[in-house]
Amino acid sequence: MKKVFDTQNLSLFYGKNQALKNINLSIFEKSVTALIGPSGCGKSTFLRTLNRMNDLIPDVSIQGGVWFGDISIYDKKTDVIDIRKRIGMVFQKPNPFPMSIYDNVAYGPRCQRSYSKKEMDALVKDALVKSALYEEVKDRLQRSALELSGGQQQRLCIARALAMNPEVLLMDEPTSALDPIATAKIEELIVELKKNYTIVIVTHSMQQAARISDQTAFFLLGDLIEVEETKTFFATPKDPRSESYITGRFG
Amino acid sequence: MTIKTNVTKKWIDQLVEKILFFMALLSASFIVMVVIVIIERGLSPFFSDNDGLGQVNLFRFLTGIVYLDGPTFASNAYGIGYLIISTLYIALLSLLIAMPISIFSALFIAKIAPKPLGNTLRTVTEILAAIPSIVYGLFGAGVILDLVYNLSLIVGVQSSAGFSVLSTVIVLAIMIIPTMTVIAEVAIRAVQKELIHGSLALGATPTQTNFKVVLASAKSGIFTAAILGVGRALGEATAVSLVAGSRRSGISFALFETTATLTSTMLQGMKETVGLDYTIRFSIGLVLMVIILLVNFILNFVKSKVGRVHV
Amino acid sequence: MSKFSFRYVIDALLQGITFLFSSISFLTLGAILVFVFNQGWSLINIDLIRYPYESTTILGAPLEDQNEFCLCEPNITLDPEVFYSNKWGVGFSQGQDLLGLATVQLAYIHPNSPLSSLTNKGIEGNEFVLLPEYLIQKISYNDRSTSLARRGVERMINELESSNSIYEIEVITKGGGIGGSIITTLWLIGLTLIIAIPIGVGAALYLNEYAKHSQFANAIRSFIETLTGVPSIIFGLLGVAIFIPLTVATTNATGGNLISGALTLSVILLPIVIRTTEESLKVVPMDYRNASLALGASRTQTTFKVVVPNALPGILAAVLLGIGRIVGESAALIFAIGAIVRDEITLTDKSTSLAVHIYSMMTDEPANIELSSTIAIIILAIVLVLNLLIKFISSKIMKGKLGGVI
Repeated sequence: MKKVFDTQNLSLFYGKNQALKNINLSIFEKSVTALIGPSGCGKSTFLRTLNRMNDLIPDVSIQGGVWFGDISIYDKKTDVIDIRKRIGMVFQKPNPFPMSIYDNVAYGPRCQRSYSKKEMDALVKDALVKSALYEEVKDRLQRSALELSGGQQQRLCIARALAMNPEVLLMDEPTSALDPIATAKIEELIVELKKNYTIVIVTHSMQQAARISDQTAFFLLGDLIEVEETKTFFATPKDPRSESYITGRFG
Repeated sequence: MTIKTNVTKKWIDQLVEKILFFMALLSASFIVMVVIVIIERGLSPFFSDNDGLGQVNLFRFLTGIVYLDGPTFASNAYGIGYLIISTLYIALLSLLIAMPISIFSALFIAKIAPKPLGNTLRTVTEILAAIPSIVYGLFGAGVILDLVYNLSLIVGVQSSAGFSVLSTVIVLAIMIIPTMTVIAEVAIRAVQKELIHGSLALGATPTQTNFKVVLASAKSGIFTAAILGVGRALGEATAVSLVAGSRRSGISFALFETTATLTSTMLQGMKETVGLDYTIRFSIGLVLMVIILLVNFILNFVKSKVGRVHV
Repeated sequence: MSKFSFRYVIDALLQGITFLFSSISFLTLGAILVFVFNQGWSLINIDLIRYPYESTTILGAPLEDQNEFCLCEPNITLDPEVFYSNKWGVGFSQGQDLLGLATVQLAYIHPNSPLSSLTNKGIEGNEFVLLPEYLIQKISYNDRSTSLARRGVERMINELESSNSIYEIEVITKGGGIGGSIITTLWLIGLTLIIAIPIGVGAALYLNEYAKHSQFANAIRSFIETLTGVPSIIFGLLGVAIFIPLTVATTNATGGNLISGALTLSVILLPIVIRTTEESLKVVPMDYRNASLALGASRTQTTFKVVVPNALPGILAAVLLGIGRIVGESAALIFAIGAIVRDEITLTDKSTSLAVHIYSMMTDEPANIELSSTIAIIILAIVLVLNLLIKFISSKIMKGKLGGVI
């Protein structure tokens, strides 16, 4: 399988505090990789290194390399905006812009170039269909995005990311702020999306990882303890710490 | 004095509460006092004989384009229609100039400047906002008048030593920019960073993020800043009177024409005035209050619609 | 590729405009400071308080009991252009008035000079002091003909030296003193704070401690809030309509006076004081109040012994804000007191605060920009100090949110 991401001895420091220790992890094309582990283990930090969102945090330093295809992400010559165009991100708390639903989805593309109304209409509809939201909002595209429910807002954020036609979708605990029904809808969506997109999802819920992911990576205190095919990981974990986590001895 | 018994304590409690209540009531009553006084005195020229000068005609007062037709102290033909339009015109122009400068400055301080520079600039702006208007008026009279006069020479337009619409607008704009910047800056700073991260994650540049997302999210606060700015521009008296030129008739739209506002006219001639000429200032003040209330009402209405966050 | 760079061009353009516009606001501050200091700095010295505002012409006669000549050398080094008389202990220098006529200025006067104190012939029995920079118009003698300034300083000094008995001296005092306005401003600050702070704090206490969420309190709060939107000139009208008649009827005032001014300023200050105090009262944790009441203290004791001390930083901030407002207020005082500059200040008579003094000078013909700028420097210095103090206190209040004074 083709590798979309490959990290080599990736370490990250918040000031003097080391948050990621020598991570070597490969993400494969058109699959779902779940990052699990207890709070503060570094999984969200790792996720953010993939699209250089850690740049926004002061006092952060990186060692080692992250490869996106054949581009080294942290190379000085790399255009970070280009990277972010090809990688979409969905955040833990839905964060739609204070604009209409239509304008939210159109935002990303409009930042890159101008579109005719026809082009944009088609693009928006396509993204909303892909994120399973279109039917629910097709009659009120001009209404404010803030009027939507939490689950709908999150699917809007997914549509917003998909509108950029990324190769990868990074999702940082996308359902932790949602109710079970909305969560189920989004999990369904992810399973559908992985046919066309590479997805990396940070999740607090092992059950979610077991349900939807192909590959699971277990983080603990900044270390990557074990990465394995999901079924194998949950059935027969190799590392004793993985087993302790899975059986709930700590969380 | 030691308070020993519970009964005494209770009695004192009730007394103190009544005193404090009275103070609150007194404070609130001042607005009532202001309203009553302004209305009573302001309306009197229209309903009394004014010591033999006769009633002032309300319609002419509100629509007239000549301040006083006839000699002072001997005529009742007051008209401030032209002043109403001039005042609104000048306030609008000042707002148009000041608003972009305030918004960009606030954006710079809140998002673009490095922290230490931003903090210094914020303090500088807060101090600017606290400078009394008379100092701005002095600056206007000493510097802006000359500048505008020289400008008028270059452009080839008549101007009387710089007293003009342009001078007034510049001075007012300079005065309201700091206040508006402070408020806008607070609103911009309050925009949640999740929104900013969301925009950047989509591949937008920081500048695109600032202008498309941050300003949109801070809309409500920026609007408040505009409302306060326009309020100050409408009510400013001493600074305007030093640079406007005290025009006595005719609406002045041209930039280099002399002008006057409701407030500058109220101040004019204060040193020696009696009778109707004195009381008519209350009427002008009444009109000013009505205008300010109307403008505030309209702007707040627009703000609530804008706040709906549509576009 | 061109679409690519187009986006960057717009980006750069927007950034450029941001820089430009931001610098406009800060450049104007610079311009204002430069202007004000340029015009007014030269006049900053103790003379501002020593001299009266108006320069007046006084006829002075030597004191009755002054018989001895000075016969002294000057105890400082005089400029070469100063002509000095040993006998009388005075040094004159040449000047020129606006019309180009010669004037004689008193450059130096020796402490032992018999002319240092003179009797004011206009006001019986009053003494006045000869101060440097006064103009000597004319000296009349008992033993020779009169000296006139118009004839030049050297001649006047020689004539003075040759005389042993002076009849009278015509002196023009130097003006430009702002002592009266300073005193007025101080009085206004004191009176206004005495009225506004207790009432404002009392009202805030009532609204926050006793009636917090009642409809009545909300109504009062909204009434007080509307006061903040009223321009100060309207309060001036209020002062004219209510406070001037009030003071005229109850004191020996005959028109605008300091008391009516202070009352007017109090009304302007009230919303500020109430709002700032309420904010600082809100920060005091409910636990403090509950603890005090649980110990058996009365509400009054709780309010004044626990809540108020903890809210003191906020009340102090309100005081400082109030002072700033008073010092800067002009329009309201022009109505509520008047715009006539005075040197002798009485509470029941007109005078000007520093800000109104500027207005008065700027509306004279010709406008005195230099002295106005000097006063502006003083006002700016006060505003700056007050603002920094308020920032300091506010940051302490923020820390107080996590701690607490008691």
